[in-house]
Order: sequence, then C-alpha cells, then structure tokens
Amino acid sequence: MLFSSITFLFIFLPLTVLIYYLVPFRMKNYVMLAASLIFYAWGEPIYIILMMLSITLNYFCGMSIYERQDDSVRAKHSLVFAVVMNLLLLGFFKYYGFLMETLNAVLPVEIPYRVLSLPIGISFYTFQALSYIIDVYRKEVEPQKNILYFALYISMFPQLIAGPIVRYVDIEAQLKERTLSINRFGNGAMYFIRGLAKKVILANTVGSVFEQVSAMQSGTVSMLTAWVGCIAYAFQIYFDFSGYSDMAVGLGRMFGFEFRMNFNYPYISKSITDFWKRWHISLSTWFREYVYIPLGGNRCSAQRHILNLLIVWILTGFWHGAEWNFIFWGLYYGILLILEKYVWGKNVEQLPAAVQHIYAFVLVLIGWVFFFSPDLGYAFDYLGVMFGIGAKGIVDSQGFFLILTNWLLLVLCALASSARGFRLLNRVTHRWKSANTRQAVTCVVYVAMFLVSVSFLVTETYNPFLYFRF
Amino acid sequence: MMKGTSLTKTDIYKYLTVVVILVYVVLLMAYTSGSTKPFGQVAEKVEASLDKENLAEQDSQALKRYYGLNSADYKGVMFYSSEFSVSAEEVLMIETKNEKQVQEVRDAVDERIESRKRDFDGYAPEEVQLLDNAQIKVRGNYIFLAVAPKAEEYSAVFAESL
Repeated sequence: MLFSSITFLFIFLPLTVLIYYLVPFRMKNYVMLAASLIFYAWGEPIYIILMMLSITLNYFCGMSIYERQDDSVRAKHSLVFAVVMNLLLLGFFKYYGFLMETLNAVLPVEIPYRVLSLPIGISFYTFQALSYIIDVYRKEVEPQKNILYFALYISMFPQLIAGPIVRYVDIEAQLKERTLSINRFGNGAMYFIRGLAKKVILANTVGSVFEQVSAMQSGTVSMLTAWVGCIAYAFQIYFDFSGYSDMAVGLGRMFGFEFRMNFNYPYISKSITDFWKRWHISLSTWFREYVYIPLGGNRCSAQRHILNLLIVWILTGFWHGAEWNFIFWGLYYGILLILEKYVWGKNVEQLPAAVQHIYAFVLVLIGWVFFFSPDLGYAFDYLGVMFGIGAKGIVDSQGFFLILTNWLLLVLCALASSARGFRLLNRVTHRWKSANTRQAVTCVVYVAMFLVSVSFLVTETYNPFLYFRF
Repeated sequence: MMKGTSLTKTDIYKYLTVVVILVYVVLLMAYTSGSTKPFGQVAEKVEASLDKENLAEQDSQALKRYYGLNSADYKGVMFYSSEFSVSAEEVLMIETKNEKQVQEVRDAVDERIESRKRDFDGYAPEEVQLLDNAQIKVRGNYIFLAVAPKAEEYSAVFAESL
C-alpha cells in the first residue's frame, strides 16, 4: 500500500489511528503489528511470508548469540551464521538475476533461469535485522524476548518499505514505553502532510519534466535540455525520497515513535562529504557503524583508508540495485570522497560559498545520471550531451520551452529543497501574536496542503515511490 | 553432551526456520517465478494449445483499444480475442520490460475484466461466469490472462512453458 494513495489516507490510516488510540497501552504494539502486516500484505501477499520468516530467523539468531555470550567463539559463529543467512536471503531475492545475467554475458552459452520479483522493502528490513543482530553481539542491546515486539521493530509500517533504516538501539526503549499526546500527534500529522505534499505535488510533477526529456530520441537533445532534465530528476528523487521519509517520521510520531531524521537539506551542501552527511543519513550511518568502522575506518594508513572508503561506497552503490550503473554510482562517490579527503578538500573550503554550492550540486547532478540511467552506456551518452558531445547544440527551443513552462515549479522545488522554504512556511503560520490565531492559520495552511495533495492524487495514475525498487 | 557442541532449543528453532525458508523459496520458484526464456518460445507453446475456433489473433491497435496499452512498450505481446461480440473469450500474454510495467498491465487487465462484466451483465450470464473464472497469472515480468471455457488448461500450459 502506498502512503500516497486514497486507500491509505482515507481508510487504512484513520482506522488504524482509531483502534490504536482506543485500546489500552499494553495492546498498542499488537495493533501496530497487525496494521503493519496488513499494510505489507496489501501489496505483497506472497512475500509477507518471507518477511515473517526473516523475523523468526533473526529473533532466534539474536537469542542464540545472547545465550552464547560467555563463549566468544561460539557467539561469533552464531553471528556469522545470522549475517550469512541474511545476506543470502537478500542476495538471492535481489542479486540472483544480476549474477545470472553477468554469467550469461561472459559464458559462451546462455543459461535460462527463473526470476522472482523483488520483495518490496527487503533491503531495508534486512539491514534493520542485521543492525539488531550485530548490536546484540556487541552487547549494545539485550535481545528482544517478545517475538511480537521484535516483529513490530522489523515490520513497523511507517518505515517498512523505504526507511529510514531504524537501528534497534534507537527504538528499544520506545517499544516498551512512549509518550502519546495530542501535540505529538498533531506535530506528526504536520510532518506527514509536508511529506505527502513533497511527493505528490512536487516529486510527481517535476518527475514528468524528467520523463519528457528522457523520452526524447538521442541526437535531438540540446545541452540545456539535458541539464534541465537532470535537475528535474534531482528534484524528483529528493522530494520523492525525503517526502517518504517525512511521512514515515510523521506517522511514527503520530503513534508515539521517534525516528531519526533521514535528510537535512542535501542540496545546500558545500562538498560531497557534506552531501553524504545530509542525504539518506540512516543508510550512511548503517554503513559507517557496521562496515566502515569494523574495517578500520580512518584510524589506519592512508592506503587502507582509501580501500575502506572504496569498499563501503561500492557496497552502498550495490545496495541500491543489482545493476552496474549503481555500482559505478557508488564508486563515483567513493572516489570523490577520497579526492576531497586527500587532494582538493582543503582547496574547496577556500572557495566562495556560492562556488562551493555549485561545485557540490554539479557533482551530485552528474551522479544522478548514473542513478537514473538504465545502463552505463546510456549514462555516458547522457553525460556527453550535458557537456556538448552528441548534443543538438547548446540551447534550443525545446530547452527554453521546458524552462518557460516549468519555471515556477523549478523555483518552488529550489525553495522547498532549502531551509528557506520551511522558514517561509513557518513565517506564514507563526507571524500571528495570538496562539489561537497561530493554531488556526497553521490548521488552514496544512489542511489546504492536504487537500491540494489529494486533488493531485485523484487525477494522477499509479506513481510509486522511486525508492521502492531498492 | 559437552557445552561446546550442544544444541540449545533456540538453535533447533533457528535451523528449523532455515529449513522452512528453503522450502518456501523452492515453492516460490516453482509457482511464482518468471522466466528468461525468449517470449517467442513461450508464446509458441501457449498458442499451440489455444482452441482457435472462437479466437483470432489481434493486432496492436486492438490492444490499445481494449486495454489502453501500447504493444511497443513491452518485450512481447500475444493477444487473442473472440471475433463475435457476444463472446467474452480472450487470451492475453505480455512480457514487460521491467517490474514497474507489471503493475500497469495488471491494472489494465483488471479494468478490462470489470468493463467486460458490465458489457455482458444482464443478458449473457454464461459470459459473465467466464469472466468471473478468468485466469490471471503474474510470473516475474509475464502477465497472463485467459477468459475461456478452457482457461485453466491454457493457464497450466503457460506455467509449464516458462
């Protein structure tokens, strides 16, 4: 089920909220779990069994590691078993097709193989399960004794499909006790509505600009058009993914849970290092905690540090998808981060702030080309057009037409992707002296935002979140 | 037993879960997986099984008219439909280029069935029953629909030919 669907907004969510707030506190986790399973089963009636099996396996693996804690060798064996099983499951469902395709490309004979569709959210819930397993091994958390509470941690519907990836350590206490209040609920609802508007009004609309450009035949695209298309995609993926994250954080808060922020205005970054502190924070944190630091992080020789960075970023790229362009995308960022650390990072810091912003944004745009391209060949062709190779001139009427017909949307996107947009919204709602007026204006603004989003939803076709495919 | 080698109850449950996962994966592969076989090969076997007395091959314009889909958008399309307006018989098989298209085609198939039910409702109950018993299968990037007295048989041939 999509957050941005009429069924979710007008049936599933109101019913879940109603039942959740009617039952006594000790029942709330069970209501939340039941709602989460229904939510997942709605779109994945077959793969819900896979998720439940993954929950069961990780529950027993956690217990097994805990029971062997006084014997470090056996505890390590249990940890390795759990990690391998999780990676095998993820690998089979996500990377099996890629592996066979690669094999077929190098072998002289074509091996036919069967393919399964990708279970939605598997990358996210497997990483959550791994964080739990490793944290139990490190004795950072006690294993969860109640399998239903553990199931809730893995399957909680606000963040099940596309994150943020919640670490068990961050939510352990909240599973037992959390604060519910009308203020928190209202605050969560506002967060949710902002996320919905980002997705439905901005991401989907600016996404159609990118679709127009990507549907154009090669040789008919000017440099200007290619850059407009790439900028449109950059806004689409940001509002799509951060919109989902905002909805997840907002929904969590409505039910008394507090998730960490997943985005912090990444397009105002002054460097690539800065960008990755602001984009998909929960994934970067996961890789830092469970891959980068165990590999030795930066407390080692420069060569080893460079190798660590390359490993982490190739894995980050591969996590996004079983395609060479994602691996290249990860490698691209790994190399840029190494260059910033060892070659030009200090020089970039000396540049005027505006130039630093442009430097980071242009490099991020180049990165998105690898991300949106179906294959590496397309990516290099598109990049070529952006820099004049194979382009239909520098500017053309199509490029101007795209800008003239979408300038307001692009300005809105630019505003909303910086803190200035949020400050502007707050200026409208908080400029009133009386608290009652402030509340009334806030309500009107957010209800209006909600209604406009719903009107967009009613008229548009199926438009899932881009990060569902990961 | 020595502590170093003993299996606890938790370990037994853990390994049992792994066994259940293996069984589940085997079942998934057998009953829900798609195939990388060329579309032509699959279509050939399905076509050979069709009772063509009441079914005629349709072109891309018919696919657009009845389903709102462009055949050029997909890897392969096989579309048979009855030439008689009083019959609801239809067999459609599409291989999409990606997973996103699967949902799009699935939605179009559901919409088509509902629309046909409305067409026949009230005057051709046996055709409505055929539509009620329509066989719809999604296997990987393949979507298969059969509305016919032999729909189950066609569906079985489709599954076997993958």
